[in-house]
Amino acid sequence: MNTLKTVGHPTSRIDAEKRVTGTATYTGDLRLPGMLYARVLRSPHPHARIRRIDLSRAQALPGVKAILTHENCDVIWGSGDMRNKRYLFNDPVRFVGDAVAAVAATDRHTAEEATRLIAVDYEVLPFVLEPEDALKPGAPEIQPGGNLSPTARGAHEPEQYRRGNIDEGLRAADRVFEDQYSSPHINNAQLEPRVAIAQWDGDRLTVHTPTQGISNCHTEIARDLKLAPEKVRIICQFMGGGFGNKNQDHDFELMAAVLAQQAGAPVKIEFTRKEDFLAVHGRWPTKQYYKVGVRNDGTLTAIQLRGYSGMGPYRKGTGGIAGIEIYQCPHVERLVYPTYTNKAVSANLRGPDFPQGVFGIESLMDDVAYALKMDPVEFRLKNMTRKLNDQIPYTSIGLEDCIRRGAEAFEWRKRWHAPGEGSGPVKRGAGMAMGSFSSSMGRSSAVIDLDARGTYHLHVGVTDIGTGAKTTMALIAAEELGVPLEKIDVIWGDTDRCPFSVGESGSRTTTQTGWAVVEAAKDLKRQMAEKGLPQGNQLLTATVNANPAPLTGQARYSFVAHFAEVEVDTETGHVRVTKYVAAHDSGRIVNPLTAESQVKGGATMGIGMALHEELLYDRASGQPLNAGYYGARILTHLDTPEVDVLWIQTEDPYGPFGAKTLGEPTIIPSPASVGNAIHNAIGKRVNDLPITREKILGVLA
Amino acid sequence: MKSFANVNARDAKDAVAKLGQPNAVAVGGGSDLLGMVKEHLVEPDVLVHLKSIRKLDQVSAKAGEVQIGGLITLDTLSREPAIRSRYTVLAEAAESVGTPQIRNAGTLAGNVCQRPWCWYYRNGFPCFKAGGKQCFSITGENQFHAIFGGGPSFIVHPSDTAPALVALDAKFRVTNSDGERTIPAAEFFALPRVDAARENVLAQDEILTAVDLPAARPHTRSTYHKVLDREAWTHAVVSAAIVLEMDQQVCKSARIVLGGVAPIPWRLPKVEAMLAGKPITPELAAQAAEAALEGANPLAKNAYKVPLTKAVVRRTLLSLATKA
Repeated sequence: MNTLKTVGHPTSRIDAEKRVTGTATYTGDLRLPGMLYARVLRSPHPHARIRRIDLSRAQALPGVKAILTHENCDVIWGSGDMRNKRYLFNDPVRFVGDAVAAVAATDRHTAEEATRLIAVDYEVLPFVLEPEDALKPGAPEIQPGGNLSPTARGAHEPEQYRRGNIDEGLRAADRVFEDQYSSPHINNAQLEPRVAIAQWDGDRLTVHTPTQGISNCHTEIARDLKLAPEKVRIICQFMGGGFGNKNQDHDFELMAAVLAQQAGAPVKIEFTRKEDFLAVHGRWPTKQYYKVGVRNDGTLTAIQLRGYSGMGPYRKGTGGIAGIEIYQCPHVERLVYPTYTNKAVSANLRGPDFPQGVFGIESLMDDVAYALKMDPVEFRLKNMTRKLNDQIPYTSIGLEDCIRRGAEAFEWRKRWHAPGEGSGPVKRGAGMAMGSFSSSMGRSSAVIDLDARGTYHLHVGVTDIGTGAKTTMALIAAEELGVPLEKIDVIWGDTDRCPFSVGESGSRTTTQTGWAVVEAAKDLKRQMAEKGLPQGNQLLTATVNANPAPLTGQARYSFVAHFAEVEVDTETGHVRVTKYVAAHDSGRIVNPLTAESQVKGGATMGIGMALHEELLYDRASGQPLNAGYYGARILTHLDTPEVDVLWIQTEDPYGPFGAKTLGEPTIIPSPASVGNAIHNAIGKRVNDLPITREKILGVLA
Repeated sequence: MKSFANVNARDAKDAVAKLGQPNAVAVGGGSDLLGMVKEHLVEPDVLVHLKSIRKLDQVSAKAGEVQIGGLITLDTLSREPAIRSRYTVLAEAAESVGTPQIRNAGTLAGNVCQRPWCWYYRNGFPCFKAGGKQCFSITGENQFHAIFGGGPSFIVHPSDTAPALVALDAKFRVTNSDGERTIPAAEFFALPRVDAARENVLAQDEILTAVDLPAARPHTRSTYHKVLDREAWTHAVVSAAIVLEMDQQVCKSARIVLGGVAPIPWRLPKVEAMLAGKPITPELAAQAAEAALEGANPLAKNAYKVPLTKAVVRRTLLSLATKA
């Protein structure tokens, strides 16, 4: 791969100093003159009809300026449910945390007091927590039409994928392996809780909000409030992460806007950490049943998955269970049942469909390899995907190198052994897992103004949820323009000043908005050649709405393999990750510094998912028990291992300088590699995430 | 949170007088109380601040005995040279609490008196600890609940310093309207069968003002071992506070107190007697661990605590006894 001048060199974030010195202004730091504060009253019941709401005592509290309930607010939150009408305030309420009312008052304390003065008469309804229970006859109906969430076409049937003939594939097998796995609801647990400020200027609405995508947030707020898009402005200058739960528009932004309109004053709405855990969304819990057919030489003949995803009561995410696509196999069948339950809502969390599905299939494939007396690394090299779904060639694929070079860097042959081998109470074990993630090209925009002083003003609609997008865009512009990075002035995070951007979801910003930046820079260079440099007050402007043609007959993917070594104390059940190697094919790496941080963050999140995190519910009452950082046992710095990052930089003909996606692949194989390492250490497998001390001591008992 | 008045106490006596007001609550570091007020688990009318009391945050030595003011922060306590060297178990326990921020604010008395962290109680269930008539953990999620001394409530005592203080045979100085009373640490804590709503014998208008540690005997060594579910910021899944008085290789006397297994710091007198006068060998440590778990009565989801506690007792005992 050729070396470039700016792209590919470790570079500090352009806003790093502001962030680390505390001078960056986050939404929570903003205070507007006359601003009111809003708080939300939430359902204490997992499922209940609202007979009556009495606001009289709350309205009488001095300082209360506006109150919204389902009786006076019929705004539909379009992004809150892709199948049903989900209002800002719903009746019946369908989970503990479902919004019942929102109050705006002159200060936080008054707003909170007012929510407690609202008297709600509930008719408590039966509830159901687990998807398989929710699909049984006689289960409480959570949405009209039944608890199996319909497909996009409205059919009440599972999401299906098939190739070949599964029965034929199972018949062709020398051996058939069968097992089941589960993963719980866990929260995105980003650092910054939800806060938004809405301000009206006549009929024009400005919303300050920490969003992953100002453009989709803008379109959707306009849609949900029935406003012309030009009447809405979204601003997000600095934000504190989201991992998928700050994309699109959100109910709290809409509540702030309606409250501000009614009260005639700007409104800041804030959620507590507990509300953030219960009332926004987390990763969907799954139950996965697999059958795998294999020949004695290790060739796969069939993979069958029947899976259930608990969506909570609203269909905010796909509920998909991915992972089997990383194997080449002639006969495949996947049925997934996205199901309504009365638990917290589930939707996107970093690699939405993947880490839980990869945990399932990669645990089983490990067992298959062991049963056939094959090294798990060799087994994966033999069976890894070579074409998407065995049909469509990839534009570039570095998976084999991820596995081979990752294994080498990890010293796999030294660390891996027969499962459970080794004496003494503390046992070491090695495990690996692999994954892939779509890196398709698509629509995004960029504008570059060149002024007479030689500064390039790059307008991009990114916000930087932690990926370093502002810096990445500047690096790409500097590279294409052939100018030093300091000459690029990035303008971001404001729909009045920035063009459309795809949004920092699906790990698409570098590939899509980055591509638009390349195109804009090329256009500007053409203009400079034609018209010369701008003089005086002139600006030279390049505007690009890039819309690359979809690839036909080719698929563009990123690939990854992770290797973990753990130490398991068989007497205390304590697990420590002692070595971790992450090998990534994300094409050319634009900024190795922030890219490495992405990998370390993703791998660490995956370790937490493997070992600790689970939103627990009391079965009798349907109440969540451990919402929040303390209860979720999110990893601390002391728990975080060194993560060695290995770049497999394949040459890809598409994307900005051949860059492919990175952010989400970083978590995909992490829980599975830790699970496989624990199995290798103790010789027993825990099939249900998280792999807690209780479960480890349980299988060893 | 509910509105309340803040008042500063001038001294311990004044604090007690102010706590006599209706619905008044004492606050030391406030690291836990503030969260409980926000969650409406406590709804005080008056917060009586103890931090305004002078000199209650100090360690003083008198004729070998050591007195520790109840308002000393956990961080200061854990760094105090006299405590680290002669009462190691207490320094290590204080050091294991929460996070640096919590240890900088949280006090010794507050840590000893903190309310349970059972998730039913902390989520507002109307349980014994909230003045109700039920323990929801019995048939619910009881992974972290008691295997000893449970019933009718099955909480575990959340304090790290409490087992250490019981192991050190500390005396608690309690101020009340009549003056002061002194209670042996082991008698300060109360099982739920005595009072299911509370964890200790403090009355509403009493405060724990200081802790007296007896003079450390020569050749005494001690340690606190805490099992956490991550490397920091959890309460003990299981912990062991052990004090050994040694004569060369022979254990003259032992005190072993467990945390995380019972509604009070759980002392093991039978095991202590087993060890007295014997060299602590791997075999004896294993026997002690077996004996330690006699009578354990796990619930549906916490049986793992039995082998875990055995391992903790055996290893901690052995490593302390054989420490150079």
